Amino acid sequence: MLNRKKFDFTLAALLLILIFCGCIAIFTASTSKLGEYSTTMNYWWKQLLFSAFLIGLLILLLKLPLPIFEALVIPLYIFNLAALILVLFTPPINNSHRWFVFYGINWQPSESAKLLTILMASRILAKEHLSELKQLIFGFGIVLMPVILIIIEPDFGTTLVFFASLLAMYIAADLPLFYVLLIISPVISIVTSVYWLVLIIWIVLLIYLLMRARLSWVAITVAVIFNVFISLIMPVVWNSMKEYQQNRILIFIDPMRDPLGAGYQIIQAKIAVGSGAITGKGWLQGTQKNMNFLPEHHTDFIYSVIGEEFGFFGSMLILLLFFLFFWRLSTAIGEIKVRERKIAATGIFAWLVLQAFINIGMNIGLVPATGIPLPFISYGGSSLLINGLAVGVVLKYLNERGFMK
Amino acid sequence: MIELTPVKLFRILLGILFVTLFVAIFRLQVVQGKYYQQIAESNFVRLRRLTATRGEIYDHKYRPIVTNIPSHNLYLTSGKIKNLPALAALLNRYFEIPESDLRSMVEQNRFRTYEEILVSDNIPYEMVLAISEGLNYFPELNFRIGSTRHYHYPNHFTGYVGRINESEYQNYRNEGYSLNSHIGKTGLERYYEVLLSGKDGREIVQVDAQGRSLNLFRLEKMIPPVNGLNMVLTIDNDLQNYAAEIFPKDRRGAVIVMDARSGGILAYVSNPEYDPNLFMQRISTDDWTALNNDPAKPMLDRVIYAAYQPGSVFKPVTGSLGFHKGIIDRNTRFSSCVGGLQVGNRFFRCWHAAGHGSMAFVDAIKHSCNVYFYDLSMRLDLDDFKGWTLKNRLAVQTGIDLPNERRGFFPSVDWYRKTYGRNVSITGHKVNLSIGQGEVMVTPLQICAFYTAIANHGNWIQPHLLKSTFGRGRLSKDQIDPIKRFKLPFSSSTMQLIHEGMFAVSNSPGGTATLVQVQGARVFSKTGSAENPMGKLTHAWYSGFIVTDQPEIVVTVFMENAGGGGSVSAPVANQIFNFFMGNYDVIKAPVTIPPQFRQPEDAADPDPSAPEGGEMTTPPIPGASSDA
Repeated sequence: MLNRKKFDFTLAALLLILIFCGCIAIFTASTSKLGEYSTTMNYWWKQLLFSAFLIGLLILLLKLPLPIFEALVIPLYIFNLAALILVLFTPPINNSHRWFVFYGINWQPSESAKLLTILMASRILAKEHLSELKQLIFGFGIVLMPVILIIIEPDFGTTLVFFASLLAMYIAADLPLFYVLLIISPVISIVTSVYWLVLIIWIVLLIYLLMRARLSWVAITVAVIFNVFISLIMPVVWNSMKEYQQNRILIFIDPMRDPLGAGYQIIQAKIAVGSGAITGKGWLQGTQKNMNFLPEHHTDFIYSVIGEEFGFFGSMLILLLFFLFFWRLSTAIGEIKVRERKIAATGIFAWLVLQAFINIGMNIGLVPATGIPLPFISYGGSSLLINGLAVGVVLKYLNERGFMK
Repeated sequence: MIELTPVKLFRILLGILFVTLFVAIFRLQVVQGKYYQQIAESNFVRLRRLTATRGEIYDHKYRPIVTNIPSHNLYLTSGKIKNLPALAALLNRYFEIPESDLRSMVEQNRFRTYEEILVSDNIPYEMVLAISEGLNYFPELNFRIGSTRHYHYPNHFTGYVGRINESEYQNYRNEGYSLNSHIGKTGLERYYEVLLSGKDGREIVQVDAQGRSLNLFRLEKMIPPVNGLNMVLTIDNDLQNYAAEIFPKDRRGAVIVMDARSGGILAYVSNPEYDPNLFMQRISTDDWTALNNDPAKPMLDRVIYAAYQPGSVFKPVTGSLGFHKGIIDRNTRFSSCVGGLQVGNRFFRCWHAAGHGSMAFVDAIKHSCNVYFYDLSMRLDLDDFKGWTLKNRLAVQTGIDLPNERRGFFPSVDWYRKTYGRNVSITGHKVNLSIGQGEVMVTPLQICAFYTAIANHGNWIQPHLLKSTFGRGRLSKDQIDPIKRFKLPFSSSTMQLIHEGMFAVSNSPGGTATLVQVQGARVFSKTGSAENPMGKLTHAWYSGFIVTDQPEIVVTVFMENAGGGGSVSAPVANQIFNFFMGNYDVIKAPVTIPPQFRQPEDAADPDPSAPEGGEMTTPPIPGASSDA
């Protein structure tokens, strides 16, 4: 099972270190200290249990023969789609339909959907006999189905991560970059339509890039006209939206508009992190956490607890750990030669990187608040298991290097 | 150009993302570290809750019954406690709060350590002064001015408010309650909690130690509190206080006065009374024990929460069933009353030992002769009797706007069989039930509502206390929760006979309540003296109404184990009727809304609720039976 030469001990080690740090962070995040009083909620040992369970699962995964693993992907993907539909009919928790709850265990189908969708999509994209266009469309379709179901939940953050993953997978599939450009151009056009100067710069840049990609003039003209059109009708679309819909988007962009709601959380996170200064307030001493200014400090906002109690040193340590981990992961992508697995590993890479970036960014007030946890560190059984399993899949692919496809 | 492999591309992107994070974190923690430390330490940015004003309660003439008054409240922020034993000593000394209570308060709030916990409210001013001197040593304590409820007279219908407890908080936290909120616990305060409580607002407090505004938010957003609705009741304070005053203090019982045309309750008395204000300050253990252990049970609401045998006030139900079934008409006579009637091997007594002789229905009502009804009962089927009782809205909840109303009880054949065995003889039980004794139990309110329907020629209206609201909106009770109306199941000719009988009770010699005499109105009465397992003397019932050119009010007086209805309860009712007629002009005067309560939409018509005077218009009720 474990090929000494092939198994990537570094990656596995970094993963375990991150999980370990997570358990420690969760311990302090769920502890409230009051004078000589101190009480801890039971999240941290649940996380320990999940971690142990994860390690067990990883060992099983590595032992599982590869053909069986590959055969399971399609049925699991379909099962997950069904779960995504069903979850919409469960009673809402915190105003969203995301979780199944049984006997104290919460399972989020959108979490497992990430891994399964990547595996499915990579299979499609790897099929070399499909034309590039077909690959594009099918890949898109595979991703779109779960995404639509997730958006309804609602969960914008995860949607974003999905699409970024897909994009990364297109790149890994050696789809010409201009396809990527064409796909994301409307989004950029929408965003830049606010300032006409930036818009003009963007259109010019677009033309230049498409020319470099040696697209036919016809194609370039079509693309440009399409983008200009999109940017021009934005004001019309905006005005036709109802006020509450406009508000939703505005708050998403600028949480300060809702200072008593979402904006309040961001401000509190910033204060927590900022007040940690260089050395932090000390283990278990986080005042913002203790005084309960920060909600969700064992889940989405755990990075701010680290920042508050361990200061710049602590937040940099975690940042460095993640950086090393992702760098190693990118090396892994290079080392996997089988096309389908390479694409899958890329998708996983993009997903984890983006999740980490969005979550940390949210904790420091750089990025709007979305319900995305910090991989391996935030408390959460589903996300820990799925993220861990994803890394496990990469480890497995690495392990099988060199054998015939 | 160097080849841009995907891996290289990803590494570049990875680098860009992480450098961005690094720079942002550096800025936040290293460059701005001191600034944020300052803010964090002084807790300058906080959500502050703006408490909504609770709605007040007035009588139908806008005279106060429950109002808000300012109170001095002491709050504790558990996160700031420095010396717990010293704090415990202080709280124990002034408020009798033991240290264990303090510890559990802190424990309960250990995940909300910055929220202020209410230690005690409505603190007498001298105590405030005494404590204030030592506040320097206790930064975790601070005083705030809040408001508390003031109940203008002892009563059983307003109920009282209290601080929200942990389980209520878990149930209602999504409605915006905080740990320190008041919530209605009993009575109207609880039933109309949603109307009265309003919704707290929020604002962000963001100033530094010098009071300068910190510019953390570009927009100062505040959600203003939404105050609770004030309520106008159907109660008339003059009548209410008079009834409470004249009710014999040593008797346990109830008085209800209902407006015959609207179903609104003008007076609601349960004796002995208690003062809800006792619950507004931290009630001492002695007081609480005294209240609970008093055998007279002052906390018991005898109007809706206690059910009793109705005795003879139940007879119209028996009689009307007889008419409905065609068993009797106005001239039917049964066995002669010789002080009782022999049924099988038992002699069932009439209250008049000498006997009434033989009589027809109207006289049977006038003299309240038991024998007539014993005889009738043997021709009735028990389950029919039960169904009929329920149709008359007795042994059924009235649905008054108060919580915890009791239903009462009427037995069925099945019930007897289950309780006494398969071979139980139903006849004897029927005989008892016919005169409102035995297992039948009703509440005084149900009786009053029944007689109001009789006064109204058969239109049963749901008794209610709320008339309308004002403040944020003027709504009538009907608009909030429609008043139910039913038609009593007997015909107008039966109704006519009952009226005749009840008129004779007070206006014909030999009637059981001839001492009820009212200037300027015709009196219709029914008395009752119910034997019961609670004591030797009978329960004393009176229920009747007065009519000028239209029905005015219905009065029901009930006393536990007090003797004869005609001798004990009727005089009280008599006084109430006379008080009403004596002050008729004052009580029935159209209501002018005091200027401070007027709202812009009041320009033309003062009140949208049911009319006080004038024609009563009730819509035709479906399901009316009509046979002779």
